[in-house]
Amino acid sequence: MTLLTEATDVFSATTAGERCVVLFIAKSQPRLPGAFDAGHLSAIGAVLGELEAEGWLLSLRAMVEPAERTEPTAFDTGFAHDADVVGVFEAPTISAALLGTVRLETAGWSRRFATQWLVGPREFAAVNGAGPVIDRKWGFFALWEWNDAWAAASAETRRDYDAECDVAFQGDLALNVNIAGRHRLDWASSWHHLGVWESDRPETVDAAIRGHERAADFKFTTSRHLLGRRRPLAELLAGAPGETS
Amino acid sequence: MTESIWIHYARPRPHWYGLSEAEQAARRKVWAQVSAASSKAGAAFVGNYHVRGQHDFETVEIWRFPDAEAAFDHWARLTAAAYNEWFAFSNNIGLATEAVP
Repeated sequence: MTLLTEATDVFSATTAGERCVVLFIAKSQPRLPGAFDAGHLSAIGAVLGELEAEGWLLSLRAMVEPAERTEPTAFDTGFAHDADVVGVFEAPTISAALLGTVRLETAGWSRRFATQWLVGPREFAAVNGAGPVIDRKWGFFALWEWNDAWAAASAETRRDYDAECDVAFQGDLALNVNIAGRHRLDWASSWHHLGVWESDRPETVDAAIRGHERAADFKFTTSRHLLGRRRPLAELLAGAPGETS
Repeated sequence: MTESIWIHYARPRPHWYGLSEAEQAARRKVWAQVSAASSKAGAAFVGNYHVRGQHDFETVEIWRFPDAEAAFDHWARLTAAAYNEWFAFSNNIGLATEAVP
């Protein structure tokens, strides 16, 4: 896999070959009568079943721990963002990823959501947080691009910057956050990279991001961050209300 | 193999303007070699168009590739030649609709 920057102490280059993330940032469409019904929900479920049989991973949990197969899962983000549902899958190849998005849209997904699909190969392997086994119900999605200042900086300055950011990433792991590696999006997006975290609660994510601010992470990047609570994808597609606790 | 369109918006980053004409030409020559290799491998260059009048970017360049992997490979070779360090960009990939089941 081609790396856009070098591996670090926290992140190692992946051995996962061509595997490719499929990030979806989805906004609910108006629920007009007949626009999206149980038949569409069933058809999407069937496509998801086919994709899993073809080697896709259908949850962030599985991308961090492939042995742990869960039901298809995404994150409820509408409480804090202009997107209602955000999630990640992992496909065997770039072409499979793109074709899979079209299969889902055609099955009825596009009737339920207006979706931005971002696709790109894995660069770095997943890293597990340090600490006891906990349930990480929250997903944090970081899209970023390097800015003009990064592009103009010397190789030495960038290496120093990577080392400073690595300290912040060590801090994330110390907060028992799992990081699903890093994926490269720049070939088909304005965003250069995607990082996705699993965390126990928003306060943990906030504490981790404060560490990145202390490390001056954002001096060289423009970022978009999305935070959501984990829910079964079938519930989110159905538009079922979530838990209130 | 699903024929793919690849759309590339670009504008020079500020430090590009600090290069001499010869330095700019030397870099463009290297990137042209990347494009030539892609064409030789089966890609079709559709064209490069000026869009600054209605866009944040200066140009849009359009290619057809035999499949999406070839588009990725083209871009990976451009970034390996530091193209992305001199030009800000936004890319899109699209599958030919007649090829999608």
